[in-house]
Amino acid sequence: MNLPTLVWRNLVRRRGRFAFTLAGTAIGVAAFVALLTIGQGLTRDVHRQAQGLGADLVVTPKGWCAYEQISVLTGEQLPEAIPEADVAKIVAVPGLKAVVPHLNEQTAFRNRPVPVIGVVPAEMRALRGWTVSEGRYFASADEAGVVLGSAIAQQFALKPGDAFTVRGRPVPVLGVLRETGTKDDIATFVPLALAQQLYGVEGKVSFLTVRVADLSQIEQAKLAIEEAANVSVVSDRQLVSSILSIVGAVGSAMQAVAAVGVLAAAFGILNTLLTAVYERRREIGILQAIGGTRRILFAAFILESMLYGLLGGAGGVALGGVAARLLGPYFAANNGVMVALQAAPTAVLPDVSTIFAILLSSTIVAIVAGLYPAARAAQLSPVEAMRHV
Amino acid sequence: MSSLAAQRDATLTGVTFTADAIRLDRVTKIYGEGEAATIAVDEVSCGILRGSWTAVMGASGHGKSTLLQLMGGLDRPSAGTVVLDGIEITALRPVELAKVRARKLGFVFQFFNLLPHLTAVENVGLALWFGGRNGGASAASAVALLDRVGLADKAHHLPSMLSGGQQQRVAIARALANDPALLLMDEPTGNLDSTAEAEMLGLLNGLHRDEGRTIVVVTHSDEVARHAERVIYVRDGRITSGALC
Repeated sequence: MNLPTLVWRNLVRRRGRFAFTLAGTAIGVAAFVALLTIGQGLTRDVHRQAQGLGADLVVTPKGWCAYEQISVLTGEQLPEAIPEADVAKIVAVPGLKAVVPHLNEQTAFRNRPVPVIGVVPAEMRALRGWTVSEGRYFASADEAGVVLGSAIAQQFALKPGDAFTVRGRPVPVLGVLRETGTKDDIATFVPLALAQQLYGVEGKVSFLTVRVADLSQIEQAKLAIEEAANVSVVSDRQLVSSILSIVGAVGSAMQAVAAVGVLAAAFGILNTLLTAVYERRREIGILQAIGGTRRILFAAFILESMLYGLLGGAGGVALGGVAARLLGPYFAANNGVMVALQAAPTAVLPDVSTIFAILLSSTIVAIVAGLYPAARAAQLSPVEAMRHV
Repeated sequence: MSSLAAQRDATLTGVTFTADAIRLDRVTKIYGEGEAATIAVDEVSCGILRGSWTAVMGASGHGKSTLLQLMGGLDRPSAGTVVLDGIEITALRPVELAKVRARKLGFVFQFFNLLPHLTAVENVGLALWFGGRNGGASAASAVALLDRVGLADKAHHLPSMLSGGQQQRVAIARALANDPALLLMDEPTGNLDSTAEAEMLGLLNGLHRDEGRTIVVVTHSDEVARHAERVIYVRDGRITSGALC
């Protein structure tokens, strides 16, 4: 006989209570893991979307809020606020390799909202490096047609030659883009002039993406653009960091809520162990009578508590990983701040060091929860304990 | 220490050897305070000779079990000293007292007091562990102890699968685990039928006669008392008769 055997026998003697307490701990940890994983997945996606943007600078109207800046990445509808006169001034700024205007609009297709993005076809293709998987790309800058992102084509079972409708007007599908893993997969693209005409916003665009000739001159280019036109310019890095600060803040708030779940689980362990101390009072007396020291009694309860934390933590990591995989896309689809995960959910289990940190934390929390019951058990006097039947 | 007890002590090559397995000197136990104070044991002085079998008798509530608890270090006296096998246990810290209970005492209780979720061999193994023995050898020792009480074939049975008499024999095997200087028994046959009681007394006789165990039994049973060499009667927390006290 030894301490681990005694502790394990004590743990599993009331299997129902063991299972429920373990489930409580696992669920608390799982909520934390799920939100942490979703947060990490979103951060990764923000970086990928920004990379997919293919731009060094993003030119937006003055006074755009962070949400609108995020929409540059998510492809959501944006106000059309930069006049083409300003676009011309920006194109004239020296040191810029490409200036690509975007008009982000939205249409309803088969009662589903679908982003419609007006672009300059050739420039956009060069910027994003798109390839076409079915059909063909725009032959000219004013061809009346639509090119679909791969997910949209799949979702609505559209192929080249089918009719797509934008604001009720039929527009033929020219081709389907190869999957990019970015928000481009869930958007449709039409030539800028057609988009402006369809939405009645001739001469205006939502924002511009810019590539500079020399990356070391990026700050100068930024200032030059701001001088040339009445616009704001953010670098892709600034854009990413401002989005990540929002994602991070939301993530932290959710993790704080999940931490309350872990705390509740700790009280569950405490309650289970206090009940066990009460139920086992007579046995504690017997153990003392046959020579069990207070240290052994204390250690037995602490080890029991620790196992709840360790096993519950392990269960929570597994459960949280599954939950993140299932819920990640849902979170992304239903929270505007959360960037377009629906294109390619990438929620995976946290890395080994994070798992280790979670297990260590849940074990420490469980040990702390077990201190009071363990101390109660160790403080019982043998006579008092054995009097209890 | 009384002069009689002093006479029974002898000094052998520098090591104090006492003829008493346990000695109580003016031991008093008072429960509660002020007007609610109850004297459970009242200035008892008593020695139990090594290798003797002593029965403690008396009406319920007169302090027999309290006396046994004080002898076993389960409770501390309000006054007086208890010396077990040459060690003044009333002066020990809790951790030292626990070690003394593990190594020098064997307890047997009326309600067997086995841990219900551990098998017979594991219950015995607990006492071996507390006595400092662990691992494979201790498992073999536990089975040997069960064999000593005739229960080797029930080693892996849970207490709930054993009869009252068998459970009490497991309890005795557990009490013998660390070769104790003193076996303390509180109504060990109180929950047994007459057949199991007879078996139990046969086992205790063997332990006393063949192995020279020192036994103190608190009992209401005249049959148990009849087997003892000496009977101490307790009344109102005092020993009213008992030849060597």
